[in-house]
Amino acid sequence: MMVADSSGTSKDLATALVVASYRVAEVRNAPQTRLLAGRLEVNLEELRESALSEPAVTDVQVSLVKPGESVRLANVLDAVEPCIKAESPETTFAGVIGKLEPLGLGLTNRLADLAVVPLCDFRATHDLEREMEAPIRWHSIIDMDGPGRPHTHWGSTTNVVLQFTCNSDDPLAECDRAIRRATAGVARLLASATIDTPADDREIFRWDAVPAGLPGIAAIIQVGADEPLLDTCFYGSSMKDTVPFLIDPREVLDGALTAGAYEYSGVRNPTHFFQRNKLVLSLLKLHGTRIRFVGVIPTLAYLQSNFEKSRHAMIAARLAKSLGATGAIVASYGTGNAQTGTMLTCRACEAMGVKTTVIVSETNGGLIDHVPEADAVISVGNHEELVREWEPETTLGGHFYDVESNAPIESPGPLSLMGYFGSSSQMGDTFLRTVDV
Amino acid sequence: MNAVHFLNQFFAGCGGEEAASQRPLRLDGAVGPGRQLDIAVSATVVCGDDYFGEMESEALGQLLQWIEDEKPDVLICGPAFAAGRYGYACGTLAREAVRRGIPAVCGMHEENPGVLAADGAAYIVPTGEGVAGMRKVLPRMSDLAHAVVEGRAESAPPGTYLPRGQRANVFVEKSGADRAIEMMLAKIAGDSYETEAKPPLEKVPVPQALASVANATIALVTEAGVVPKDNPDRLEQCRAKGWHSYDISGLDSLQSGSYESVHGGFDVHVANRDPNRLVPLDAVRALQREGRIGRVDGFLYSTTGNCTATARSLKFGREIAQRLKEIGVAAALVTGT
Amino acid sequence: MLVTALPTIAVMIGANRVVRGVAITNPTGDPTLSAADELALKRTIVSRALEMMEADVPPGTVWEVKGE
Repeated sequence: MMVADSSGTSKDLATALVVASYRVAEVRNAPQTRLLAGRLEVNLEELRESALSEPAVTDVQVSLVKPGESVRLANVLDAVEPCIKAESPETTFAGVIGKLEPLGLGLTNRLADLAVVPLCDFRATHDLEREMEAPIRWHSIIDMDGPGRPHTHWGSTTNVVLQFTCNSDDPLAECDRAIRRATAGVARLLASATIDTPADDREIFRWDAVPAGLPGIAAIIQVGADEPLLDTCFYGSSMKDTVPFLIDPREVLDGALTAGAYEYSGVRNPTHFFQRNKLVLSLLKLHGTRIRFVGVIPTLAYLQSNFEKSRHAMIAARLAKSLGATGAIVASYGTGNAQTGTMLTCRACEAMGVKTTVIVSETNGGLIDHVPEADAVISVGNHEELVREWEPETTLGGHFYDVESNAPIESPGPLSLMGYFGSSSQMGDTFLRTVDV
Repeated sequence: MNAVHFLNQFFAGCGGEEAASQRPLRLDGAVGPGRQLDIAVSATVVCGDDYFGEMESEALGQLLQWIEDEKPDVLICGPAFAAGRYGYACGTLAREAVRRGIPAVCGMHEENPGVLAADGAAYIVPTGEGVAGMRKVLPRMSDLAHAVVEGRAESAPPGTYLPRGQRANVFVEKSGADRAIEMMLAKIAGDSYETEAKPPLEKVPVPQALASVANATIALVTEAGVVPKDNPDRLEQCRAKGWHSYDISGLDSLQSGSYESVHGGFDVHVANRDPNRLVPLDAVRALQREGRIGRVDGFLYSTTGNCTATARSLKFGREIAQRLKEIGVAAALVTGT
Repeated sequence: MLVTALPTIAVMIGANRVVRGVAITNPTGDPTLSAADELALKRTIVSRALEMMEADVPPGTVWEVKGE
């Protein structure tokens, strides 16, 4: 049950997640980072110093980039909403930079309409072919204007852009970890301006027992976790080699899940989409009235064999069933290889009597994979559809590389939605759909 | 703006099933339902349903020549409603006209095989199954024809014409998450919902060839609506609700008077004089006696493939196949229209 | 395998082994022939169908009754 009000008693804080939202109408560089009546003043140099505190980071350029500006952000790694555990700031992003405490309870302040966006041209300092099993190649851009702007959420947010340069002597994994920690640190620093100031909105998220008879619904969410740069973390550590388990939905909203996967940017899950996950937000709203939200169950994408995929599908389905789910919303990830796992999860659930709805991104050839049981599919867009070419005045984030040859190129040309950050994310956070015409 | 209108033998006034072999015909101006089209029709071209089906390239050659001679702005075909052969002719002719640079507008039921035949080339007004809808359909076809010629068809409201086989991204009001939750709630409540993405039409792989039919059991299956006299199971003449099996184990032939066709989609009197013209049991038995066929299953599996919905047809096919597999049949000889 | 006078539709919706029938009203017969000739034709059609059952063919193959 979710109630928006301005209370938030200590009893609430012990048993609920209370999210206090602060709307930001204006952001500008100033000597002191503070929030004054919707106007955020940011000391960009202070943010830069915070980011540089990570040894593997040799340089960070910090800039404010706003919607409508003729700016393209390239080599986008993630988008993180500024947030802070107001009662215990040291636990913010527990496990990543914060002290290890269970997240999803207590008071969390967030700066709405703002995002911290890390960019890094890893190819400029590292040999990805040597250091990675599956070297990342795809474009990852955010356009603040032009035809690509509507296709990413962050074309409409004010972005605190961090352009990272890493130490080429440090292993890629260490650089990646440093960037993720630095980004989280900047997000927390920005949100610290909200402490002890009045919020614009307050949401109270409970996950209590509900009356018998309500249908149980699970959210089975696929995540990628293979190696550094192709990873998703839970409380700061890679989810690689995990099996499906139960996550408190409020942990998802409170920074327990963070993104570290940098391929196929159009079809994966930025941290921001976990923090404001629409599936979780809506299911929590319905919890206690129309449904019993049994919880969030992660499964892994890109498992290497049919056996592994089937095993994960079975375990996830069994867990959903054991939790009393009558239905499960199965969110996909990435492309074909991962979507096969999604379809197997759908099949495994249906075989156990758990009805499914599947969320997938499609291609020019329609669905990549399908099983007959997947009769309730939400399509979040054809990620192969091309966006018209656009020439921004400014590009931040380093070089573009040809996805076949890895050679540096001036501009990516007309790019498919696959290259637009979060454009067709398969947890359902966007408003795109593919229809028959 | 001028149009050419394509009609089958029935709507052109040549006759019913008995005129289904009507050779292509050209008439000046509008004929029959064409007179109610709100567009100048300079010529009407006609072809019998059976002639088109059996002599497709000859029919197309003649019809397209007449159409091109008129230099029309648009070709209008039908409406065919649920008539499969007529719809197929409309869709095929429309597709070929579009390839020659002439836009085409048709009207038919969404399940008509003519939709597939058109292959996305034509703008097809969706209709009901029955001719009763004619008065409402013709103005919609005229409007669409005008829109197509004037280049504004693509901005018509959804539902104006059937999807043309493409898919496109659109922004919608509800997030994917909220649409997923809505669909989930409908599904568990048993309410109807419509999936947003379907797999392409199932491609059945080619079954492995038999080593020798002389060592195998085959079964006779038909969608020509062949039933014992008086139709004991009340097999429908269209929109069949099921399939039936009839004991032919003691028969050497399907005798006229003992067996008949109840199929409502073609002229059955030729077949009823000799039902072996639909299910060649007489020839099958002869070849079986000579050892060319090992065994013949004791039953004829029969349904009517007239206006039968695709989903239901798939169901019948799967069920019959399942039965045949269970009893060790290696191959089915399926006959139909 | 399928005997039909509308092989194009059959192939369009996924049939793999098709023999073209004589006519829509009589796929496996011909009323213009004498009874003896018609039986011979029926045997030819069925034999062709049996041949096709024993043949490896690519998807969506249509055979005429005579020749190929």
